[in-house]
Amino acid sequence: MFYRVSLPQKFVYYMLLVIMALVILFPIYYMVIVSLKLPKDIYRTPSLLPINATLKNYIDLFAKDDFFINIRNSLVVASLSTIVSVFFSCLASYSLVRLRYRLRDWIGRLILFTYLTPSALLFIPLSVIIAQLQLGNKLHGLIFVYLTFAAPLSTWLMMGYFKGIPVDLEEQAMVDGATRFQAFYKILLPLAVPGLIAVSVFTFTSAWNELLYGLIFITSPDLQTVPVAISYLITGDVFRYGLIMAASVAAAAPVMILYYLSQRFVVQGLSAGAVKG
Amino acid sequence: MHTRKFLFKSSFRLTILLLAMLVLLPNIVVAQSDTFTYWGGLIFSDEANSMFEARIKEWGEMKGIPVEVVMINQNETVQRVSAAIEAGTLPDALDLGWGFMLLLSQNDQLVALNDLYTEIGDAHGGWLDSINSLMTSDEFGGSIYGVPYAASGMNVLYRRYDVLSAAGFEDAPATWEEAADQSRAAQSPPETYGMGFALSNVGDGNLTTVMLQSWGGRIADDTGTTCTIDSDETRAFLEWITTAFSDGLFPPGATTWDGAGDNTAYQAGNALFIANPGSVYLNMKDNDPELLEASRFSGLPGGPVMRLVPVDTVIRSIPTTTSPDKQALAADLFQFLADDEFMAAYMNAAIYGPAMQSQVDFPVFTESPVHVGLLDGALNGTPAGFPDVNNAAYAEYGTNFLTPRMIQRIAVDGISIDDAIAETQQACQDIYDKYNTQ
Repeated sequence: MFYRVSLPQKFVYYMLLVIMALVILFPIYYMVIVSLKLPKDIYRTPSLLPINATLKNYIDLFAKDDFFINIRNSLVVASLSTIVSVFFSCLASYSLVRLRYRLRDWIGRLILFTYLTPSALLFIPLSVIIAQLQLGNKLHGLIFVYLTFAAPLSTWLMMGYFKGIPVDLEEQAMVDGATRFQAFYKILLPLAVPGLIAVSVFTFTSAWNELLYGLIFITSPDLQTVPVAISYLITGDVFRYGLIMAASVAAAAPVMILYYLSQRFVVQGLSAGAVKG
Repeated sequence: MHTRKFLFKSSFRLTILLLAMLVLLPNIVVAQSDTFTYWGGLIFSDEANSMFEARIKEWGEMKGIPVEVVMINQNETVQRVSAAIEAGTLPDALDLGWGFMLLLSQNDQLVALNDLYTEIGDAHGGWLDSINSLMTSDEFGGSIYGVPYAASGMNVLYRRYDVLSAAGFEDAPATWEEAADQSRAAQSPPETYGMGFALSNVGDGNLTTVMLQSWGGRIADDTGTTCTIDSDETRAFLEWITTAFSDGLFPPGATTWDGAGDNTAYQAGNALFIANPGSVYLNMKDNDPELLEASRFSGLPGGPVMRLVPVDTVIRSIPTTTSPDKQALAADLFQFLADDEFMAAYMNAAIYGPAMQSQVDFPVFTESPVHVGLLDGALNGTPAGFPDVNNAAYAEYGTNFLTPRMIQRIAVDGISIDDAIAETQQACQDIYDKYNTQ
């Protein structure tokens, strides 16, 4: 149902939206502005305007600190974690939602508990496992570690989404001769595409932003991911704000683009999972 | 049923396949078993870090062995080493701070290096007293678990000479009370505040413990087992510092600053005094020569009872997990790294004081004003923790930031000095009791 909105009401709505946008965008604006300043200007002439704007921080970051390598590492780790995690979580959540077997509910809950375990508690046991598998200081070792939080999150979200798709559709396909697996990938998965995209975006973002495990399991500078490389811009009590902000802008850009391209699916996918999950 | 079985089987096979692919992906292997791995401490100076890495690689080439140098951010050393101990992936040699070396040695994680320590010391004119007393502390039970390469942690007092001299203060304050008096007269809030010292729960905030000790206060007794915070000296110190806080001599936010709060305040021109080991000097040299020109450097002020400049040290150590062959290589490397010509160039770029007599004459310790202060600290400073016993309980007292917390309770929460002392005395004793029963 649509209501006619009066001019004063419109004004109030727009004002509220503008205020909200300002609050949300201000940190990003500030990050960009600081990234365009020299260290002296950051400290001595704090300003919200790009006074003496320079690209020196970006040049130093990419030319001197090889930040492209860190972005490449993060892309590899986050993308592969997402693909593997979403693949497993589709199978797992389908099983938990559609199939009937003992302890099914408990397994579902255990998966959620796994996700809720703080990563700070897991890094020591994971170190032991990674060392035993000889996966330390390797990107695919990090992917393996990221699956410990990405797979439970994806599974939990996909369960909610699968529950929202009527089982009748698959049953009809099976009546028409499709196997269960065909019903899964020919009927259910196409319907779940918005959910898959939403889950992929969330999984990718979690892996892209992860710091602790990256810090612990990667020792070579050539294999550092973006958050680890940014943390290395802080040495002792010295914060290189210009470089940190330039790196943050560069690190945020891929995720922002990803969200921009998939925002429709993210909202659609998550709301479906949230309501019917 | 058939299709469900098929689904289970397919899922299982795919899972196995994917796991196998994950493990068998072409490994980007960095460390080989015959590679000598060194975890160096990453410091602020890129130049010093590069020199250090190049020196170790040069040694590796001379010896004909592959070397991997991993520069570990010193803020993350504890997490890295803790995980590596559990996983059995410690490097063949590594750089550590004194406190962490104490902890690791008490857990049998480090090789005793008494002979190497003596040999390197003798080859370079002997260890400085402040360094030697740290390394031969009773806490180590007669063993020496590393080879120091520099004196560290000494704070130098930075002051805004342009502002202070305009207010009639040409000389550096000799006492903390003088610093407060100069601040009161010269500061101009909200543009400038005098006392740019952290009162927050960060490492810099523990400078207040040094202040408390220079007032004659003590954290614990001479046996290092019983807390003695509840004293008249502590009361006098708290009276002074909380009055200075309420008089507005500390910048707003000093009670919640992060580790860079004081540096930022000084470099933004908002603080007239800060205590810093040298990173701010290097930063100003590169980025703000005008502020450097307007600054002067001196030793830390004293309190009514004594002047304390705590000296810490950075150490090269060998984990017990290192094979005997690589232990011998590490010993050789430590001697190679101690070379005076290399260390003179390294210290020119780094912000450390000397650890050995031969390093005292390095040109940087007369040419750079901050290094002059660092030399003074290394020669005349007191071992970290002095006059208290620098044991594990004292270290935990510091990592819990109990002195700055005590100040915050009075200055921010408004409780009485007596109540704050009683609380802190209890919290402190709880920590010491934990170690007394071990």
